[in-house]
Amino acid sequence: MAGVTLSRWTMAYFAMALLALLAAEVLMTAGYGYPQVPVGAPATLVLVHLVVLGWLSLLLCGAMFQFVPVLVAKPLYSMWLCLPVLGLLVAGLIMLLSGFLSLGGVIEPVLPFFALASGLLVAGFVLVLWDIGLTLWNARPLALPARFIVIGIASLAATVSFGAIFALLLGGVAGGFTISRLLVYGLPLHVIAGLAGWLTLTAMGVSYRLLAMFMLAPEQERVSSRAAFWLGTAALAVVVFGGSAAIVMNRAPWWMLLVGALLGLAAVALYVHDMMHLYHARKRRKIELNSTMAMVALAFLVAVALLIVVLLGMGQLTHHIAAVVFLGAFGWLSGLGLAMLYKIVPFLTWLECYGPVLGKGVTPRVQDLVEERRARKWFVLYFLGILGALATLLLGASIGFRIAAALMLVATVGIIVQLVRARRLDDVPSSVRFPAGSHRPRLLMALIQPR
Amino acid sequence: MNGQLDQSLIEQVKQALRTVVDPELGFNIFDLGLIYEVTADTTGTVHVQMTTTTRGCPATGYLQEGACNAVKQISQVVAVEVDLVYDPPWTPEKMSPAAKLHLGMDEGWGQ
Repeated sequence: MAGVTLSRWTMAYFAMALLALLAAEVLMTAGYGYPQVPVGAPATLVLVHLVVLGWLSLLLCGAMFQFVPVLVAKPLYSMWLCLPVLGLLVAGLIMLLSGFLSLGGVIEPVLPFFALASGLLVAGFVLVLWDIGLTLWNARPLALPARFIVIGIASLAATVSFGAIFALLLGGVAGGFTISRLLVYGLPLHVIAGLAGWLTLTAMGVSYRLLAMFMLAPEQERVSSRAAFWLGTAALAVVVFGGSAAIVMNRAPWWMLLVGALLGLAAVALYVHDMMHLYHARKRRKIELNSTMAMVALAFLVAVALLIVVLLGMGQLTHHIAAVVFLGAFGWLSGLGLAMLYKIVPFLTWLECYGPVLGKGVTPRVQDLVEERRARKWFVLYFLGILGALATLLLGASIGFRIAAALMLVATVGIIVQLVRARRLDDVPSSVRFPAGSHRPRLLMALIQPR
Repeated sequence: MNGQLDQSLIEQVKQALRTVVDPELGFNIFDLGLIYEVTADTTGTVHVQMTTTTRGCPATGYLQEGACNAVKQISQVVAVEVDLVYDPPWTPEKMSPAAKLHLGMDEGWGQ
């Protein structure tokens, strides 16, 4: 069969990711972690890793296993690896969270949690790198969106390497002066490689292709797109390699971070310029909710960049760094993730349920699987919650932050209900819901019919 | 093709292809301009050359097989072959006025 096949476990990745997001929002609403306790407290580390590993990384891994083959028009190197990778990453996350909980004295260290977390997460992400890396290698020469993903997964390797060293240090397995200095000065490198490199550059690469596809915009490789790629790559190289070298040479890496930030801001400015160009050059005038919400997420990326510039100018960046990270993780990355899920889940469900019977009778459209008017209000509430939470973080009003987190939680539940309804075909008109030969899809696993 | 071209069968094939809807764009693949060529001869052998909006799209195989299924529903058809081609690549300009209207694509929009 021509084209790229469905990944059987993508929905399971998405379900685990959404579960982690819900758990994080419940904890924030309950007043767990920052801003009630300091940024470096074990409770905050639980929250942060639930979001970036449990929610964003699982979401991105699940999406990459399905859409990297679409980007490069080649099959995934190994479909078989998807389930073991999910198991390793979820088990590694549980061990890591248990490690932080034991660090905070909440649970007894009955197992070497950090060492286990390090082993499981390294194994899981190495398999992700192997599978995606070989898929990309087999598709050379790569177009620009795929090259963003190459740098994204290289940043993942750097993030996981720093994280594994931290976990081994916290677990008392590794030590030494230089490595201990990494724990003190290497944290910004770990965070930037993860949020800006792995999550943001990969999302940028995917959005260059998918947004053009969804909005019927011309997919040209523009000079500004190539410049965004090289500036982003240079920013990460300066932060990861320059920053590490500074630490090894017994110096603080702040200059490297500043240069990296300036290069990164220039890359973001060009990327936003390109996205605006796609939006204006689109042939599809009536765009769907997912594209509109992706544009709102893009506005949050602009807000992150502006906030960094303003806080740098005021000399307040370090003081408000948590607000910047929150805006990047929830406004930009999570906003884009939820918007894309609202497209991907119905699309994959349609392919699974109605693809095999296409041409044999009347089938619904992908848009018949969703009710945009109902979903729109949950997206609006989610983004209002983000704005409220940001304001309370900047003003230091922790009770207000919990109220805003509650709004985000309610909105996320609302969006998840819409995704489940799409998966269950609840909104499809009954006259076309089950044409002969079709079947109701399972919630978490794609049933790929033999052809 | 073994026999002479059968214009009447070609028209029937085109009508059949109008029943296959691209799931993403919500309009039939013929008016979307995804069908590049249809030939049919008097022996009932049909050959369709088609494309997709994006190379590598997960729907590609389903669309190809959907086109094949739709053509097979015509009683005169004895054999059908549907080939995928990407040269020339599809562009929105290939859509019929009806498809452009469906997607809210005004003349000059996005130029």
